[in-house]
Amino acid sequence: MAEIDDHTFQEDDHRAAYVSNPLSDGTAAVPSAGAAPRPAKRRRVSAKKEVVNGRSEDQTSGPVDVGFLPLFNGQESPGAVKLRGELFETAWPVLEGRIQNVLREANRNTLDEVSTFLRAAEGEKGKIPAGFIITGPNIASQDLLFEQLAETLCKGSQTRFVRLRSAEAPNLKAALKKIIRDATVRVAGDDEEGDDVEVSVGQDGRKYLDYDLEALHVSLKLQQSGRVIVAFQDSEAFDNGLLTDLIALFHSWHDRIQFSLLFGIATSVELFQARLLKSIARHLFGAQFDVVQAGSVLDSVFKSAVAGSHALLRLGPSLLRSLVERQQDQVAGIQVFISSLKYAYMCHLYANPLSVLLADDAHINRELLQPEHIEAVRSLESFKTHVEASVEARQLSHAQSLLDDDDYLAEQILEQNQKRRDYLVQLLRSLHLIAATGLISTPFTDLYVTALSEGIDLTSEKASVLDPLRRLGPNEIVSLIHHLLNAIEIGSPELDLQGWGPDADELVASLAEIRDEVEALVERAKDSRKTLKSKYSAQSRVLRTTVVAQKVQLSRDTATLTDEDREFTEAIDRLADLFSRSVNCEPVTSRFLHEAWVYDSKSPYRDVFVPRPGTTLSRALSRPNDYLGCACCSKANGTVTATMPTTAVLYHLYLEAGALINVADLWSAYYALVSDESDIGMDERTALVHFYRGLGELRAMGFVKQSKKKADHIAKLKWI
Amino acid sequence: MARRKAAEPEPAARPLRKRELAVDPYEVPDDTESPKRRRQTKPPSTASRSKAPNNVHVDDTIQEATAEAQPTVEPTPTKKRRGRPPKAPLVNGQVATPSALRQKKVAETPIKLKGINGVDTPSRRNFADRSARRKSARALIDRVVGAISDDEGEDGGIAREIYESSEDEEDEEEQQSQDEQEDPNPTTPSKTPGRRRKATAARKRSPTPPRDLPSHEQYFYQNKPGLTKTSGNNLSSLDLLTHEEYFSVLRQIKDPHARDVQFLQSLHAESFPQWVFELSQGFSACLYGYGSKRRLLHQFGTYLCAKGHLPQPNKIVVINGYVRTTSMREILGTIGSAIDPSYKLSSGTPVALAQALLALLSSTLTTVILMINSIDASPLRKAGMQSVLAQLAAHPQIRMVCSADTPDFPLLWDSGLRSAFNFVFHDCTTFAPFGPELDVVDEVHELLGRKARRVGGKEGVAFVLRSLPENAKNLFRLLVAEVLVVMEEGGGGGAAEGSAVEYRMVYNKAVEEFICSSEMAFRTLLKEFHDHQIITSHKDSLGTELLSLPFRKDELEAILEDLMS
Repeated sequence: MAEIDDHTFQEDDHRAAYVSNPLSDGTAAVPSAGAAPRPAKRRRVSAKKEVVNGRSEDQTSGPVDVGFLPLFNGQESPGAVKLRGELFETAWPVLEGRIQNVLREANRNTLDEVSTFLRAAEGEKGKIPAGFIITGPNIASQDLLFEQLAETLCKGSQTRFVRLRSAEAPNLKAALKKIIRDATVRVAGDDEEGDDVEVSVGQDGRKYLDYDLEALHVSLKLQQSGRVIVAFQDSEAFDNGLLTDLIALFHSWHDRIQFSLLFGIATSVELFQARLLKSIARHLFGAQFDVVQAGSVLDSVFKSAVAGSHALLRLGPSLLRSLVERQQDQVAGIQVFISSLKYAYMCHLYANPLSVLLADDAHINRELLQPEHIEAVRSLESFKTHVEASVEARQLSHAQSLLDDDDYLAEQILEQNQKRRDYLVQLLRSLHLIAATGLISTPFTDLYVTALSEGIDLTSEKASVLDPLRRLGPNEIVSLIHHLLNAIEIGSPELDLQGWGPDADELVASLAEIRDEVEALVERAKDSRKTLKSKYSAQSRVLRTTVVAQKVQLSRDTATLTDEDREFTEAIDRLADLFSRSVNCEPVTSRFLHEAWVYDSKSPYRDVFVPRPGTTLSRALSRPNDYLGCACCSKANGTVTATMPTTAVLYHLYLEAGALINVADLWSAYYALVSDESDIGMDERTALVHFYRGLGELRAMGFVKQSKKKADHIAKLKWI
Repeated sequence: MARRKAAEPEPAARPLRKRELAVDPYEVPDDTESPKRRRQTKPPSTASRSKAPNNVHVDDTIQEATAEAQPTVEPTPTKKRRGRPPKAPLVNGQVATPSALRQKKVAETPIKLKGINGVDTPSRRNFADRSARRKSARALIDRVVGAISDDEGEDGGIAREIYESSEDEEDEEEQQSQDEQEDPNPTTPSKTPGRRRKATAARKRSPTPPRDLPSHEQYFYQNKPGLTKTSGNNLSSLDLLTHEEYFSVLRQIKDPHARDVQFLQSLHAESFPQWVFELSQGFSACLYGYGSKRRLLHQFGTYLCAKGHLPQPNKIVVINGYVRTTSMREILGTIGSAIDPSYKLSSGTPVALAQALLALLSSTLTTVILMINSIDASPLRKAGMQSVLAQLAAHPQIRMVCSADTPDFPLLWDSGLRSAFNFVFHDCTTFAPFGPELDVVDEVHELLGRKARRVGGKEGVAFVLRSLPENAKNLFRLLVAEVLVVMEEGGGGGAAEGSAVEYRMVYNKAVEEFICSSEMAFRTLLKEFHDHQIITSHKDSLGTELLSLPFRKDELEAILEDLMS
């Protein structure tokens, strides 16, 4: 079978690259009849999507079926499939736009500083202004930064911005060519300069070589534009000599072309300086800029894209934890985080039929819910707990109907949408209030993840917010209440949480009341020349040391609480009580139907983004039956049998061998296994062909290499 | 040699040295230490223990040496002497390779020195016994090595020879030099190594390797110095496969797992819609796992086209990373021509070319699907290749699917490239046999250090020529004929490598036969052959350029027959 197919495209197999057309031209160009109705539906979707975000990328995915398949073994109704597709297409771009915003915002400070510096340095004579931008080790996020730099710095002014990456500038000539091309092309714009290798400029019709800075000079003079900013994105990767040459060259042209340099630096300026010659470094006049640390960027992305109320899908605590850990432990870069996030959305909406329930009320109705949906809901873990809970609560008829009555259940399912939103609002408000107190130093991500997995219950928590709250002094209490009121009033723009003052009349009123009371108490205490304290304040318990007649006396502070103090204590108690009542939330897993809107599966994420090819390979080779599922090798169970694919047999022998392998022995071991006497009964030449193949594959996969220590020996290279 | 001679004339010093060694408290426990240690310290201690060191010695060394070593315990003194100085065998034209000799010197020097210095009667016989192990090793290696002698690349290899670690080597070499310098003061050299021995912990050698070690432990275990012992068998009795035989046998082999492999592939094919979705979302798919994924990718390409899952103007470009001549220019050129058939690459660095290409792509609506077979194959591992590919993959109108065969392919990309590629990885273990990806015979012969034949063999040539213009075929026919003639005349041996034809002469003939009109054209044609490694050229001592064909005579005849028909 394989052989036959091989012959059909054999010719192409030996070509390095070719344009493939698996089908004849006609069929390739026109979608087959079966797929015809679907694109028509999609078209509307994508049109809508374009309205939503108007991104250029859409043109490519325009009339194309995104490829959502009907689930439930194909029983899912087209309507539901479509809805899932729509959900994805509306939800993700919105989120992505927000993330991009966050990322851009994060760089804003740096951008401002850099442009101020460069503007200020304009007058500097004899030295090239150089901005050293400490980007940190993550080169993946540099692109955005430099893109933004190009945008901001070119805005308005007559500035040319050239981005250099080490890969693009292997030598001086290439670097100069790139600089000159980029700096002039932008000027040329529509001038149809196009593919000219030589840059021809000037009234005198002179032609310049494309790496002659004179060309740039003339072009700049023509355009009357001032300066050229050259940005070395990954300065560490540039050759020392190249940097030196470039800087020297720029310096010698400095009187004619105003160069400014930017260096993206992953390590430190000192290290960078150490690489340059002193004489060269003298030409630079620099300043250092720091980019926002990855951690805080992650935090804001997290807030807006994961926790924020705009996020359609909730990522479950265990997935989130592993995502965040990966960010912290491995320098994975924020881009990876975003990709993972996107992939989670894709997985959920693509593969979970219940994800239709995420749609808003306008789109989802009873008709959409098929018997399969109902059945799927009944098989959920959360359904089970819910029914059990209602039985416990003696709501037997409710439980009964849930189990028997499809319509009743459907009604319940549809109601869940609102409940979900309420839950989320409650969760975010609680988190926001906790964060607003400023009493907890845990990062928001941790707070959020814990809240999802364990819920928020201030009264039971070990290291709760309440203890530090109780110990606060009167003034701090007042300002705390002030913060809380503020938080309620304004909400959190980061989290997309609007102020909920009207919803929380009671809370606001009580808070205000406590505040007034405390303020009054403070006044009264001031009148009586005493400081206001509560029984929780430290003083009441601390030993007092007094020095009397050169002797130290220890005495308990027995100062009893005054009436004001008692009242203050009472106020604090009330506040703590109020706070813990209004800030609470149950763990997400306890919610009925949370499976429809929480995605918490780690495995596709891990498989897809953190592959373990070594383990996969060694498993395939050591237990081929796991993959092949053939009868002949099923007995092996981790040992070697003759029926296994040759490479697998050799791999077993390979594992048993030491660091140096004698091929002759390997061959005799193999041949003994498969030779005429064995069940396989292969003749020598056939066995040898197999052996060659296995050995060749082992080598191609990098398991062995030639060893010159002994003839016909190979060296082991991998210990997986 | 010289060293030993220097040592021999002063036997008086030896007893003294020996006694001191024996009383040395550091030396005694060494006896129980690792075998290697034992080996080194034996001479002094045995000498002090008994007056008949010979017997003890033989026992000891036999433990060390492999079974075959025993018969050679009694060697002739001449042989031994030849072995010691590294240059001697070369001069004598001995069979032994330098590697074997050097290794011996490295391993045995201390014994030798101590033997000479520490034993009362420095008889040759005594000495010979002591170095039984060395000789056994030599005998062993002599037998193994046979006619093979490749000097290049040895320097690193010997150091870690099977018997000794590089660390010991250093120690011993130091010791050696010390011995040479401080001959009058004998205690120092033996003491120094004694202390060193303390430092390196005792190594136990057990015949059965420990089971279920974690892989890193396994590594250290298996790379323990002295542990790697392999038999002296070699493949000389086995008639290695030729390309022809390989392929003719291969054609008859029926894979008993064919159905399972097919089934496995169909399982993977079930995720095609998912992959399409991922690609449409800007991810690149990377398929990894054991087995050839070429057919799977091909099937995926067919699926993509058939279902109209792609935006309308679309092109599929397949890149075969495993083809040895794959170059970025060719890849970019192919993509360019896929976008716009009239597109011509300008000159410049691949990065600049790629930028131009992407600019062209942005101006159209075409979507390009890049399917890269074996993205981790060696031609694509070259510097710069991956970054250009990443640059391509990052373009929104380019979607990329690739396959990776090695277990460490993620090392190809740093985080910048990774995020440009935006990979999703899928375990696609297919168990399918590698076809064109792997030139098995060459691969194995290279691995065995046999001279690798050119790519493809006879079929390879036929295949290459099929894709070349008529002129090239004629030229090659001419070349083959000429080389055959030379071979006949020279009564040529089996290989054609030796028989070369003069470049000038071939050129003139080519002009006569109207194959080409100018030297430029001639060179261009030759270049094509060079690229496919079907000819080789070199200059002789007079500077005459010679062309030869890397085929055997019978192969050449077969090729000529094909070409004539």
